[in-house]
Amino acid sequence: MEQIAQKDIVISIDNVSYDYRSNSDEFVARGVKGVSLSIERGDFCVLLGRNGSGKSTLAKLLNGFIVPDSGTVLVNGIDTKNDDRIYDIRSKVGMVFQNPDNQMVASIIEDDLAFGPENLGVPREEIEERITWALETVNMSEHRKRSPNKLSGGQKQRIAIASVLSMLPEILILDESTAMLDPKGRAEVMETAMRLNKDKGMTVILITHYMDEAVGADKVFVLSEGELIGQGTPREIFRDRELIKRAYLELPIASSISLELIEKGYDIPFALTDEELVEGICKLK
Amino acid sequence: MRDVSFGQYYPSNSVVHRLDARAKLLLTIAFIVMVFLVDNLLAYIPVVVFILLVTLVSRVPVLKVLKSIKAIIFIVVLMSIINLFANAEGEVYWSWWRLSITSGGVLTAINLALRLIFLVMGSSLLTYTTTPMELTDGMESLMYPLKLIKVPTHDIAIIMSIALRFIPILMEEVDKIMMAQKARGACFDRGGVFKRAKALLPVLIPLFVSAFRRADELALALDARCYNATPNRTKYKQAKLGWGDLVATLITGVFITLVVAINNNFWGLY
Repeated sequence: MEQIAQKDIVISIDNVSYDYRSNSDEFVARGVKGVSLSIERGDFCVLLGRNGSGKSTLAKLLNGFIVPDSGTVLVNGIDTKNDDRIYDIRSKVGMVFQNPDNQMVASIIEDDLAFGPENLGVPREEIEERITWALETVNMSEHRKRSPNKLSGGQKQRIAIASVLSMLPEILILDESTAMLDPKGRAEVMETAMRLNKDKGMTVILITHYMDEAVGADKVFVLSEGELIGQGTPREIFRDRELIKRAYLELPIASSISLELIEKGYDIPFALTDEELVEGICKLK
Repeated sequence: MRDVSFGQYYPSNSVVHRLDARAKLLLTIAFIVMVFLVDNLLAYIPVVVFILLVTLVSRVPVLKVLKSIKAIIFIVVLMSIINLFANAEGEVYWSWWRLSITSGGVLTAINLALRLIFLVMGSSLLTYTTTPMELTDGMESLMYPLKLIKVPTHDIAIIMSIALRFIPILMEEVDKIMMAQKARGACFDRGGVFKRAKALLPVLIPLFVSAFRRADELALALDARCYNATPNRTKYKQAKLGWGDLVATLITGVFITLVVAINNNFWGLY
């Protein structure tokens, strides 16, 4: 417990509920219900849940797009209900969305990267430095003066990440940013997010319904029907078959095979990745 | 994918590309006004030469500039035909019932076609050599006086920039929707005008729905990137008028004078 107290909490959500309502205050859809969680600085967190589980609602709450009906959301200690400081929150919480085409404002990549810092009133010379840095970070420097239209989905999404990085956020939220991509594009985006977390110490919150993207996470949160039904390390979550069933998720092949084998009485360790599974099976007599 | 030349930037680092967007905008407007004042076929010769020179200096492939005409060819033909019969002055070449083709009509038709073609060539040269962002920044800067009477010039500039950015995306979407409808037996290229127009309805409705959905997501993305966070917004690309702009203005000025002079037979050449 002492160790947890020492760690720096960047986001804390306390008993938050939110329902979507129409203009005439009629109930339209459930968002989230009684969710409490906290995220530590420098963690790679994954929010897992199927469509309609409330995971995107949670993302919108983190950025102050919507404010909770009850409960509080604190980002860096600032309440998202505080309208005067909403841009302090949004510049620190960078958000990348699902469709890369719908989040680019400019037809030239460097102009798109400049948009965020321009809005924040960052001096010209510094914007220049930030663009160079952000493009290097996502390995897209050679595309600086080009149009985003000819890029692949994965490349477009990396540009979208760079456009958010140029605001120098402390937290990066990827709201289903891999959902529209092919396997290669998904791998590119995942690799970029992982690298940002490991090398730059950025807090990353990845929202997805692919369990295999949660394998390398520090912490996994599982949402179902708007409620937080489980949290822990990937190893803890992946082993909990009951939980996964309740969340309507699908275990990665390696984990489900190793679970089957363990249940059949084979002496192998629980595997998260293909490599671990192969290693476990090879060690069998 | 159909060829959408208009509004497409052709990357290069030529002298024309480096000119200030504001200078290019004003010079293009001056060029267009001039083209519409010319009514002497001889005066079009320097216009062609000028367009060719600018194209060569800008290193945009000549073919690309010519292709921009393709988009308006229908309008050019239609307008020419209407004008061919509208003007009944001069020598009569051919006549039937109330229609007649006269030398005056032929002249107006050619004049109009050339005007439209030069207009499109001139403005597509502008969009080929200027990024949409520079263009909108330039417009914003030129609209500065309006800001004093509280016109949100910056918002207008952003709207224009987003519109330009989404032209190719929506075009692609039209293609996809049309293919999807064709796969389900829709037919877009048969029947009369009305039938064809009606056939486009199942394309337009999904297109609008998707455009609104995109607008919704884009609005979130703009907010996420702190749009309107501060009134003291900075500009990454600060355009500065340089010597090149002065030279370009002078050259264009000389050229316009030349064209007007030829047009009005200043030297008594003919």
